[in-house]
Amino acid sequence: MNKMSGWLVARNRWNVLLALMVVGMLLVTSGSPSAISAPAARDTLVAVIARAPATLDPADHRTRESETVIRNMFDGIVTRDTRSGVHMEIAESVTWLDARTLEVKVRPGIKFHDGTPLTADDVVFTFERTIKENAIEYPRPHTSPRKGLVEPLVSIVKRDAMTAVMTFRGAWPSGLQQLVHHQIVSKAYLERVGTRGLVERPMGAGPFKFVSARTGLEEVVMERFDDYYGGSPTIPPVGKACVQRAVFRVIPETSSRIAALLAGEVDIITEVPAELVSRLKAAPGVQVETVPGTRPLWMEMNVKQEPFTDARVRRALNYAIDKDLIIQKVYGGMAKPLGGPLSPLNNFADPTLKPYAYDRDRALALLREAGWTPGPRGILTKDGKPLAFVIDTIDSIRSLAEALSTMFRDIGIDARVRIWEYGVVRPRLLAGERQAYVGDWGDAAFDPVGHMEAKWATYRDAVYGRGNFSGYSNARVDTLIRDGEVEADPARRRAMYNEAQRIIYVEAPAVFLVLPEAVEAASARVQNWKPASDSRVNLHDVCLR
Amino acid sequence: MRAVKILERVLVTIPVMFGVAIVVFFFVRLTPGDPVDIMLGRGGVVSAREVELLRHQFHLDRPLAVQLWYFVSNAARGDLGYSYVRNKSVVDLLVERLPATIELTVGALLVSLIIALPIGIISAIRQNSLTDRLSMAGAFLGISMPGFWFGIILILVFAVWFKVLPAQGRLSYDVFLQHITGMHVVDSLLTGNMAALKSSLRHLVLPSVTLGAGVAAIIARVLRSSMLEVLRSDYIRVARAKGASEWVVIMKHTLRNALIPTVTVVGLQVGVLLGGNMIVETVFSWPGLGRLVVDAIFNRDFPLIQGAVMVYAFTFVATNLAVDILYTYLNPRITF
Amino acid sequence: MTVNAQTRRPAGWDYALRIRLGLWRRSTAELAVELWQRPVTLIGGVIVLLYIVAAAAAGLITIHDPTQGSLLARFDPPAWEEGGSWRYPLGADDQGRDLLTRIIYGARLSLAVGVLSVAFSVTVGVILGAVAGYYRGWLDEGLSRFADLLLAFPFLVFAIGMMAFLGPGFVNLILALSFKGWVEFFRLVRGEMLGEKVKEYVEAARVSGRSDLAIMASEILPNIVQSVFVLATLRVGHMIIMEASLSFLGLGIQPPDPAWGSMVASGRDYLLTAWWVSTFPGLAILMLVVSINVFGEGLRDILDPRLKIE
Repeated sequence: MNKMSGWLVARNRWNVLLALMVVGMLLVTSGSPSAISAPAARDTLVAVIARAPATLDPADHRTRESETVIRNMFDGIVTRDTRSGVHMEIAESVTWLDARTLEVKVRPGIKFHDGTPLTADDVVFTFERTIKENAIEYPRPHTSPRKGLVEPLVSIVKRDAMTAVMTFRGAWPSGLQQLVHHQIVSKAYLERVGTRGLVERPMGAGPFKFVSARTGLEEVVMERFDDYYGGSPTIPPVGKACVQRAVFRVIPETSSRIAALLAGEVDIITEVPAELVSRLKAAPGVQVETVPGTRPLWMEMNVKQEPFTDARVRRALNYAIDKDLIIQKVYGGMAKPLGGPLSPLNNFADPTLKPYAYDRDRALALLREAGWTPGPRGILTKDGKPLAFVIDTIDSIRSLAEALSTMFRDIGIDARVRIWEYGVVRPRLLAGERQAYVGDWGDAAFDPVGHMEAKWATYRDAVYGRGNFSGYSNARVDTLIRDGEVEADPARRRAMYNEAQRIIYVEAPAVFLVLPEAVEAASARVQNWKPASDSRVNLHDVCLR
Repeated sequence: MRAVKILERVLVTIPVMFGVAIVVFFFVRLTPGDPVDIMLGRGGVVSAREVELLRHQFHLDRPLAVQLWYFVSNAARGDLGYSYVRNKSVVDLLVERLPATIELTVGALLVSLIIALPIGIISAIRQNSLTDRLSMAGAFLGISMPGFWFGIILILVFAVWFKVLPAQGRLSYDVFLQHITGMHVVDSLLTGNMAALKSSLRHLVLPSVTLGAGVAAIIARVLRSSMLEVLRSDYIRVARAKGASEWVVIMKHTLRNALIPTVTVVGLQVGVLLGGNMIVETVFSWPGLGRLVVDAIFNRDFPLIQGAVMVYAFTFVATNLAVDILYTYLNPRITF
Repeated sequence: MTVNAQTRRPAGWDYALRIRLGLWRRSTAELAVELWQRPVTLIGGVIVLLYIVAAAAAGLITIHDPTQGSLLARFDPPAWEEGGSWRYPLGADDQGRDLLTRIIYGARLSLAVGVLSVAFSVTVGVILGAVAGYYRGWLDEGLSRFADLLLAFPFLVFAIGMMAFLGPGFVNLILALSFKGWVEFFRLVRGEMLGEKVKEYVEAARVSGRSDLAIMASEILPNIVQSVFVLATLRVGHMIIMEASLSFLGLGIQPPDPAWGSMVASGRDYLLTAWWVSTFPGLAILMLVVSINVFGEGLRDILDPRLKIE
């Protein structure tokens, strides 16, 4: 009896415990849905990026996402529209006095967030801080990691209160495209608070003022700067920003980013995978925008190793890939085929080069010419050796690489995929140890510089051929690339790059694949928002309904 | 005597920490991948001089022995160096991130105990009943799913479909909270900020459940089998025969003895929780140490990896020390 | 303590004896009868068996190639969904491969990953743990410190480093998974050893002049085999899931080979558009791991008479 009642008592206590748990859970999950789906007041815009900025000091980072956030609080001499056009920003005008001297006239009446005027002193200070070695004193003296981005800049001096003059080592034809990526800081402010002060309370002349940042810049809150000069006069709308408050948040995981948008917690998300576009477009209250991207993709083939020593094999593989099918299926129609080494959006892409067409028979014929004939199990063989190779790639490109291997296997090539970390595979690729690599290369400046010398010049050092994973080496191409870097005359420069592209197209050290579009999505309450090719998230123009 | 033994154990952890520091130093440097290469990325303009400067700045142009000396001598003074990518003191970065991770880990541990203790106890006292079968199967569910998948499913269900819990972050944008410890729940309690308390608790639910579910299954299971073992022992029979109430028998005699193996398992799970943090923090955009260290590894940000691993190691060693000490109190027959 | 430790009978003696009699001398027929009386356990066992059969006969029961698909079938939905067909009963993945085929073939890799890494961990962990817990002294100290050091190293940091070192691949994956996996068994066995060693039955055995190895192997180990078994069954599932976590970071089984973990990981981005790509492999893991656990638990109850309801 005693035992029985004991059990009962115990059972009741367990039940009470369970009930308490349930009540507790209900309490936490309670609350009307609106309590969380409207996290931001009507005039607060929440934009999401995939990786946290490294810092908010415009001169002290080397990451795209840092620049994305910084450019909402700092303006540069020039800026870029959502495509590849360069426009004046804080500069009223820039003039090439000669091939290596650039005069920058600062627009009068521009104020920093602290109310002080922006003058030529600030421009000079900004660039000196970038190019002088050990000019950044916090947290310990070091050189700006952006120095290399203005490599040819030798000196900058103040001519008068509103004019600065830059002198370059030689002609720098891609200069204006590159100058977009440098934002002006206040000399007086930095001298007063130092780099540490700037990092903790960034202060520039951009459309938004810094308000606060949470843990490690995972969240940056900004407020409209009411005395903003209006930004570039040639990129409408001109004037102060539309929204009162703007927040940048970091959500690294793709599915979480999309969930946050669908849950109504955020307004704009970047880096949306192409295959989700149709689903997002169908979702109520969501809008999707695309813009041509800046990361073309190739499959580079090790030209120093069998079977890729033979240009016929390399061309055959170009014919073996159905780019249209890939674009349609892997990229949901949102990509362009590459007609050669450069992105079709590059200002110097040769428009006469047409993408290799998908032609299975031609591919097989070329392979047969090169000695590869169908062998056991349908695999192409030559001298008893099967045509087999491993396609190396990185995780973010896995899907494309797998699609390629499927297409290669389809014509009798035993291709497999291997996923690497970029930092691990790069030295092996440069050493010529691997066979094929599917990869991308950024092209945000829309100029061959930063691209041609990295991908298609002979591998020599930290600059030339630093991204040349095919081992491709052609003396004529090398010369053209070198001369193109310093050729001031646009027509002659274009002719050089056209010649280089044509040689590369024919010798085909790579299977020229596609240029995917960048996809971003936003809630329906966002207005006047357009993604930019250079992945800038410009919140200046955006309004909220 | 026990105090001396405990002190001895505390002192023994010092070489372990030192060992971890040395191992991680070589481990990160021998792992393929060059920090400067990765930093300069795939695209953009680069100058040769710049690469040289960066290498020099990170001391990568020095012999390994010299680098080790820098690391050890600075670490001895509490200076763990500067992050390559973020250009910030590693100690500052860790201090900034640690509270978020502690909060999540404690949350997950609580969730797992809340789930595991009742399930473990009920399953044991009603062994083979339907309740037992169902609750144990339920406990298995938590451990039978990849954490990131479970997390994403939770987000889809609770944030996207029902919109009852937030999908990401630690606090709503419109909530202001004074920063004291960095642990939002603690801070809002200290400042009496009820709005922030509610917001931070709500944000804590899904990540804690994701992280705690797997651990709950392990704890419940070990607790159940230990309880069963103790329940069958003679001295419980003796206790019952003496007329002790069932509640006393279960809670006092059985649970206490069954807790010995359970505590060990909980201690070990702290390591699992810390590891799981890396993935859960990524899925829920939780700005903690896990996120930081994953980024650091892929960037080969050596000083940051070293610092973070040492923090993990220290937490782990400290927890296990605490478990060992607790062990001796729970089971006096064990000599240290 | 109200109950004096002395009142505890040296349960180990008869337990160890019984488990040897009960566990190893029970006839298959008896076992079958017992199993038949426990439908839940039986179902668990049958499911595990089905997985094993499917893994072994993958080539016979599937019609598609697990690695070769066609982009034209990319994201074809399961048969019962709109636009689905019985050609791809569970739908197709991002490469247009039949998901069902890949899941069946995936059983091979995933079971192999789980079982091999646990077997490796158990072997190393139990031997070292028993030795350390029994002999104590410098050996125990050294092994324990080494184990501390390994455990103190966050697993993913470790795994990412290993994978970068060795390169991704099946054997390297097993190594990375078990390199730390053994420590848990080591600590468990060592801890139990400490507890068991001070019990009277061990003292008695020692007094009667039996060798250390004999005491460890035949007296103590049978007593703790159950805890090891509990942990090991849980660990098989855990290892399969760890493979998924590594795949989440891009370090798992390499494409196009199918393993559930990497299938779940690479399909997660499509959860909103093509839910089946990540969900079915996820369910495959879920069902297997739950079945292993249910079966393991039930089997243990059958084999261990002491834990039966009196």
